[in-house]
Amino acid sequence: MSATVAPPPRWALRVAGITRRSPTLAIGAAIMLVFALMAIFAPWLTPYDPIMAQPRNVLAAPSTAHPFGTDGNGMDVLSRVIAGAGWAFGIAIPAVLVGLLAGVPLGLYTGYRGGWPDEIMMRGFDALRVFPSIILALAVVAAAGPSLLNVVLVIGFLDSPVFARVVRAEVIALRGSTFVESAVAAGNPTWRILFVHILPNAIQGAMAQTAVRAAWAVRISATLAFLGVGIQPPTPEWGAMIRQGAEYLVTGQWWVGIFPGLALILMVLGLNMLGDGMQDMLDPRRKAATR
Amino acid sequence: MTGLLARRILLVVPLLAVILLFTFLLVRISGSDPVGLLAGPTATTEEIALVRASLALDQPIWVQFGVYFGKVLQGDLGNSWLSNRPVLAEILDRAPATIELLFWGVLIGAGLGIPAGLRAALRPDGGFDQVTRFLSLLGFSVPTYWLGLIMLFVFFYLLGWAPPGMGRIDLFLTPPDRITGSYLIDGLLAADWEAAGSAFGQLVLPVLCVAIISAAPIIKQTRAIALEVLASDYIRYARAQGLPHRQIRAMALRNSMTPIVTFIGTEITGLVGTTSLIEYVFAWGGLGQYGLSAIIAGDFAVVQGYVLVLALFSVIVFLVVDVFVMLTEPRAGAAP
Repeated sequence: MSATVAPPPRWALRVAGITRRSPTLAIGAAIMLVFALMAIFAPWLTPYDPIMAQPRNVLAAPSTAHPFGTDGNGMDVLSRVIAGAGWAFGIAIPAVLVGLLAGVPLGLYTGYRGGWPDEIMMRGFDALRVFPSIILALAVVAAAGPSLLNVVLVIGFLDSPVFARVVRAEVIALRGSTFVESAVAAGNPTWRILFVHILPNAIQGAMAQTAVRAAWAVRISATLAFLGVGIQPPTPEWGAMIRQGAEYLVTGQWWVGIFPGLALILMVLGLNMLGDGMQDMLDPRRKAATR
Repeated sequence: MTGLLARRILLVVPLLAVILLFTFLLVRISGSDPVGLLAGPTATTEEIALVRASLALDQPIWVQFGVYFGKVLQGDLGNSWLSNRPVLAEILDRAPATIELLFWGVLIGAGLGIPAGLRAALRPDGGFDQVTRFLSLLGFSVPTYWLGLIMLFVFFYLLGWAPPGMGRIDLFLTPPDRITGSYLIDGLLAADWEAAGSAFGQLVLPVLCVAIISAAPIIKQTRAIALEVLASDYIRYARAQGLPHRQIRAMALRNSMTPIVTFIGTEITGLVGTTSLIEYVFAWGGLGQYGLSAIIAGDFAVVQGYVLVLALFSVIVFLVVDVFVMLTEPRAGAAP
């Protein structure tokens, strides 16, 4: 009877530890894990082809055959909601990468050099703050031409000030430290000091922002699609699906618009919880201040 | 003090120049050529050249910016590419509808959010704090337009309590004469109870949406500010002195108000965008719906004017908030 219970593996202990310290982070991570699996295995998970129209089965209410019902084209809403996860990741991940690639070097350089480039950048960011971010994103995407690439680039570039600001503040705090001075004295070129010596010490704050920025990217891209700018139906993208569902809500076919909306909320909620947890973990001062 | 005030107001000038540069470039990157739209399909080559010259599109780009700058200073935001109507007049015509929605929404949002945030701060990690924190996270995550659609579905379609989301007043009623531009207030002023009642009914759902979306960040920030104040030395001193709880709370509240008002001021920018989306869902007919429709239709003269007016609105709000802080917070006056 004395069966020895195997000690839980080390990774399980770590997960348990993080869960205890920050339940928000754990719940957010769990939600995002489910969405990631959904996006990766979508072709096997979807009961129907998400863009297969069944003209004889239009606007069918939820049933066992179609748990989330069918939309105005007779497409299976469940399959489309599952497929939508891929579109959300497909826009959010590249957009955040663009934001990092544009913002981090900018913050590194201006924080290190100071002077007029720094002044111009900060004044420019101040000016950007007076535009509602969602309207600015919509207007710029519409102006640049609503292709998928432009949606990603615009969201990324509008994100870059956030990353640049955080990195800049870190660099200003670091640039007088001994390790930077000795790197300068050893004759390293500026780019090497910035990217090899300072970057690894200054990137943490920017990384803590990535999940929250991804949440913003998911929201903006869905809003664009909802307005009909950018991704168009029948693409299984949540915002575009809500747009399709909007006209049916007031006639009672609620399932067309409600399910993609719930998926969208859940993903944004997951990313926001993950982001909140990451910021608390990586910046103990913030935790002390808000707790 | 007066010197500081003057400096703060002078800072607006370069900011305005940068804002105008942004809105100018917005149309440039669109690469759309409005001349064909404005001249009409039957225009001759000479007429097209004439329209092009009237918009200064035949000049180098910096001259074009100068012309745009000069026109904006004279209050000329150009004409819509699609309807050829002056953008500024259209915006002024629609602004009261948007301000009405934003005003009530933020007022109710702050009326719910500030007390909730304060109460959550009194017992951090208590039951009330947990619940409000989750609700505020939910408010951050719900797509604005979807919330509006759900409201319509539940309160119009399912329950039949609310009117359909089609404008600011019942289609069969004539709006009251324009005094303030708010149908509710104008109806009350004109003693037109039917119109005022209908305007009120139309306002409830969209205002509720703006209130919910605005309450989320207000709760979160109020809680953080109040916690910081409650942990400060003077509150600890007051506690050590044995002052009654009510008096300590009143003291904390008084010292939290300035940062909370400042925060709401900076949040207004984002809420203007939120309000636009709500307007779009409820066919509100305000500035936001006008601007979003222009974005969808590619009418960049309107988009430019709309984005500019929203930015100017934020500039004014930021200015008012800063002046308010200078007047109420003696410490802020001492800072450079």
